[in-house]
Amino acid sequence: MKPVNKDMLKDVAHSLMFDMSEEEYALLEEEFQTILKQMSLIHEIKGVENVEPMTFPFVVYSSYLRKDVPSDTLDKDEALGNAKDVVENQIRIPRVIK
Amino acid sequence: MAFEAIIGLEIHIELKTKTKMFSSAPVRYGDEPNTDVVAYDFAFPGVMPTVNEGAVICALRLCNALHMDIDRELHFDRKNYFYSDLPKGYQITQRFRPIGRNGYLTITLDDGTEKKIELEELHLEEDTCKQLHSYDCTLIDYNRAGTPLIEIVSKPDLRSANEAMKYIEEIRSIVSYLDVSDGRMEEGSLRCDVDISIREVGSSEYGTKVEIKNLNSIANVEKVLNYEFARQVQCLETGEAILQETRRFDESLKQTVGMRSKEDSVDYKYYPEPNIIPIRLSDTFVDRAIASSNELASSKLKRYTEQGLNHYDASILIADKDTSIYFDQIVENGVSYKLAANWVIGDIQSVLNRDNISILEFPVSPKQIAEIIARIEKNEINNKQAREIFAKLYEDRSLSIEDLSKAFNQGMINDVSDLRGLVNEVLDENPQSVTDYLAGRDKALGYLMGQLMKKTQGKINPKDANEILLEELLRR
Repeated sequence: MKPVNKDMLKDVAHSLMFDMSEEEYALLEEEFQTILKQMSLIHEIKGVENVEPMTFPFVVYSSYLRKDVPSDTLDKDEALGNAKDVVENQIRIPRVIK
Repeated sequence: MAFEAIIGLEIHIELKTKTKMFSSAPVRYGDEPNTDVVAYDFAFPGVMPTVNEGAVICALRLCNALHMDIDRELHFDRKNYFYSDLPKGYQITQRFRPIGRNGYLTITLDDGTEKKIELEELHLEEDTCKQLHSYDCTLIDYNRAGTPLIEIVSKPDLRSANEAMKYIEEIRSIVSYLDVSDGRMEEGSLRCDVDISIREVGSSEYGTKVEIKNLNSIANVEKVLNYEFARQVQCLETGEAILQETRRFDESLKQTVGMRSKEDSVDYKYYPEPNIIPIRLSDTFVDRAIASSNELASSKLKRYTEQGLNHYDASILIADKDTSIYFDQIVENGVSYKLAANWVIGDIQSVLNRDNISILEFPVSPKQIAEIIARIEKNEINNKQAREIFAKLYEDRSLSIEDLSKAFNQGMINDVSDLRGLVNEVLDENPQSVTDYLAGRDKALGYLMGQLMKKTQGKINPKDANEILLEELLRR
């Protein structure tokens, strides 16, 4: 795994197209170190070789399936409200293929 | 050195549900961009997926038709990637526990033999949005984002482009008969990726496989596989290495071109979808979904031939789902399969061709066709009259077949003794033909029948008249 440091966090943030202040990066890095320390503590637990990894903390099941009935849709203004650039109801972004 | 192709197919099918896979937004085509969307499709904060019951029913029916083992617990996983075609930043799919595994389907090869193609798995997932790329920008319409998809993965059992085409045709027929999808490649409701490698005939080792993505017509699948087979053979013969890579088909160049090598492949960091807890499907639910499935083309073909149709006619009827439904609605009324097939393949088909309409637009109902056939079977009208009634009905379907038949029956000579009298008149008037017939010239019978038709202006039942004519001839 790549070491979690300020450069790595910046790289991830920029990939996701946002940025933060230096203080925020410092705080986030600190929090990550705490999380990683806790993870290493968990790794020290012995005798779990034969335990299957779990996705949910408890074994639970549902039987709910949504009926195939359409609901109301978003208003045009609401749907496209976050888009910076709209052309004929389509969201325009820089060309994404080479 | 002789080589053979080893081909496996991944087919994506867009389902014909009313709503999306994980949201209640409507699935519709041709609507104004970005109108068939709810908050979930845009990944607004806090939205949660809900699994569409209709899509699960489609998957169960398809699993059953493809003889698969069905997982009665639904599990979903995340495929993570960052791209504008899916706002969540991940696609929900079934990576670790597909709903169906270990199935097969049967294709019929050109020489008539059947070949079983084994299937690896079938899983449910969601479609991406539609992106329109122009020279300087990309336009995004999220109407399609989240449409339910089923992916069917075959084992590498196919050995030629021809077999691959037959496999796609069979999948297309099954999804169309089950009504789970339109299955139209041209419209993108059935899409296909192929894996192809080659090896020396007789070898049991696999070669390096190449994946070709997004083929949009059956004709292109054939072109691509034939091209790629030849390209790989040439590589091996000239000592060039075949790279494990993803290629695409360039229509203008008519060849495949490299897109990305194995090293560049994206790590999707799959993990179980935390927002959908596993769903248990009850036996009743699964059994009901399967029991209410439509009859498949293969089963119809068997039924039609058992009911006396020849294989050729039966194949024509099942080639189009809607035609076979129309045919079934005729024979439901208890008329003969043979006569019904003659009408559908003959008279009805020629009207459809002439006026360039589909069977769905054909105005005469199956029940009306059945009524015409029933009257032919009861000798109330002959074939010629039936065709005239059919033509009139096609012009105006509100006409009554009863009235139309009666009009024909007016003046019909139904009385046997009257008919016998007329037959004898004809025989008396044509002694030479009588002599000819009795001397063994069968042609004379046709002439006499013609004379009888002329005398009665066709108002006789040809079958009855023929019988009486023969009886009277033999008395002479």
